[in-house]
Amino acid sequence: MKKPASLTTALFIICAVLLTACGGGANTNTNEKTNSATNTSTTTSTSGAILIGIALAQTSNVALLGQEGFVGSKMAEKYFNDQGGINGTPIRLVMQDTGGDEAGAINAFQTLINKDKVVGIVGPTLSQQAFSADPIADRAKVPVFGASNTAKGIPEIGEYVSRVSAPVSIVAPNSVKAAIKLNPQIKRVAVFYAQNDAFNKSETEIFQKTVKEQGLELVTVQKFQTTDTDFQAPATNALNLKPDLVIISGLAADGGNLVRQLRELGYKGIIVGGNGFNTPNIFSVCKALCDGVLVAQAYSPEYPGKINVEFRKAYVDQYKKEPAQFSAQSFTAVQVYVEALKALDKKTKISTIPLNQLRTELNKQRITGKYDTPLGEISFTPGRDIVQKEFYVSQLKVDKDGNNGKFVLVK
Amino acid sequence: MDMTLFLQQFLNGLSIGSVYAIFALGYTLVYSILGIINLAHGAVFTLGAYLTYTLMGSAFGFNGLLANAKLPIQLPFAIALIVGSTLAGLVGVAVERIAFQPLRRKGSDPLLTVVSSLGVSVVIVNLIQYLVGAESYTFPATTYGNLPPALNFGTPENPIPIRTVQVMIFAVSMVIVAILTYFISSTKYGKAMQAIAEDPTTASLLGINTDRYIILTFFISSFLAGVAGTLVASSVSIAGPYFGIGFGLRGLAVIVLGGLGSIPGAVLGGLVIGLVEAFVPGEYSGYKDAVAFGILFIMLLVRPQGLLGRRLIQKV
Repeated sequence: MKKPASLTTALFIICAVLLTACGGGANTNTNEKTNSATNTSTTTSTSGAILIGIALAQTSNVALLGQEGFVGSKMAEKYFNDQGGINGTPIRLVMQDTGGDEAGAINAFQTLINKDKVVGIVGPTLSQQAFSADPIADRAKVPVFGASNTAKGIPEIGEYVSRVSAPVSIVAPNSVKAAIKLNPQIKRVAVFYAQNDAFNKSETEIFQKTVKEQGLELVTVQKFQTTDTDFQAPATNALNLKPDLVIISGLAADGGNLVRQLRELGYKGIIVGGNGFNTPNIFSVCKALCDGVLVAQAYSPEYPGKINVEFRKAYVDQYKKEPAQFSAQSFTAVQVYVEALKALDKKTKISTIPLNQLRTELNKQRITGKYDTPLGEISFTPGRDIVQKEFYVSQLKVDKDGNNGKFVLVK
Repeated sequence: MDMTLFLQQFLNGLSIGSVYAIFALGYTLVYSILGIINLAHGAVFTLGAYLTYTLMGSAFGFNGLLANAKLPIQLPFAIALIVGSTLAGLVGVAVERIAFQPLRRKGSDPLLTVVSSLGVSVVIVNLIQYLVGAESYTFPATTYGNLPPALNFGTPENPIPIRTVQVMIFAVSMVIVAILTYFISSTKYGKAMQAIAEDPTTASLLGINTDRYIILTFFISSFLAGVAGTLVASSVSIAGPYFGIGFGLRGLAVIVLGGLGSIPGAVLGGLVIGLVEAFVPGEYSGYKDAVAFGILFIMLLVRPQGLLGRRLIQKV
């Protein structure tokens, strides 16, 4: 009697590990700081502070995007509380981790709505998650701001869903046009996209449409997964067709790796990256090989508006690098909530309004005004989508040591 | 599929397969000695990559407790790999002392030890995230010296470019497999380990200090995990603290395919899974795990002892 039932054990283990593998992303949302002021009456908003829910990814492979968003919202909390909060009442953020998947986002939303009783939510990180979690907030009549959801159809999820992240259809074509301006000889285009992510799928449609509208030839479309790390097969497939422009829709980790492997395999032409490249974290993935990648942006640290200058300075002081788009967008989402709450408070003291009513009124109020934000001046369509004035195209410029870099505006 | 792509994928498959092999060897060693699987192996794999990255003097990002921290020293890659993997090996020994030994002393069910190692794995992964955040980290461009980024395995007219790092990974892995095989089959220590694997009671009656060899086994196993983690990370960067989970799963498929407890089996299993995965078309890359586990499933049906495993004989 030796080594009892080894195969049964092995199978059990596989099941166990599969469970943890999934759990790693989704179910770790209990370790966040829960707010001390959460246990207040259900009918009025809190007596101490106004609670705003932040449902972003702190774990999983999209954690780096979520953490940037979280940093932006934290800066907004401090910034507006320093200015007196909502006419004297401070705001307080309640953070729930969504992980990188739909189940995690749903958990986080339910906790924020039912347990933490927030007036509104900022999140989730991915459009893919928004399509599952936003309907929950909509049914509970709790306003949601997507701060990084740019896929088609987000505000259409329901009347309590809006966003401060401009849709990809408006932002994406700018970078392709900039590439053509840099090299008018471009003819053959290879497109790559992450097929397991709603945002990247919707972004690649726009890119492919732009390629055709610009009279370029689409020589290949290669698909991958956001969880992939080895891109030699799709990269070789595409490079064999000798493209002179490569367009990538992916997230920072996979997209950065793809750029690196394309360059290592000898590609010399221009690379356009989608919104997933819109983060300084990209530099730690492809390092010196990121140099020259073009990215269309809904935010530029260079925007001269007063609030952006202050935001940028605070950010650089604290983190020693330029703010990311997702940070600016989360800041903006919190800002719109704060300004809308201020406007409501002027009409009726919001501490006297029952929570359900406050959520409904906030939802109506937030899309009526104009806001001067780090993204520039924004307002909203009656369909609750953002109307933004300024867009940018930047080129990645890597520092000499190859470890960090900047987004330099292409004029 | 044209010839260039076929050759390229074949070499890619060998390269990743060789990493699977050294990773799975770690599982196999512990399994041979204790008859259980150490589920913290994937986490130690991740840790090894982070340790080597740190020892090369690279900085961390802005999340986590160690934001922007870096060591004042900058070790060359080869030395950082050895030191980092040795540290990973020591962590493996600590894992054994904390998660395995107390339960073994009490004579607990092996299943409990497996669960306990799973707990250690969760702790390690979360600790990494707490300390250095969830960002991806890439090894410096000079990791492999001033070699060109890709080598041409074809002719100048008909190039078959392979990334240099893939070739290096394959070479390093094969050297390690050779050293380990020599160590197990031809040294006193290796023979003692084999004796314990055969029958721990008899081995200790013959004067072999079982406890000491268990520690040695965990050290070697975790050292191998550290090397594998570093090699993979040097090719595709450290994708975050969760980076080892997928490898942990595939390692299990590899050892079951090769035959539980068989060292040549782990190597063969690793190469087979690596090659099969390399030929999964890019657009179906999400199904790579499914393919690996599909093979495992078929193997369990037709040849449960694995490719090179021995059939268990119940001797009661």
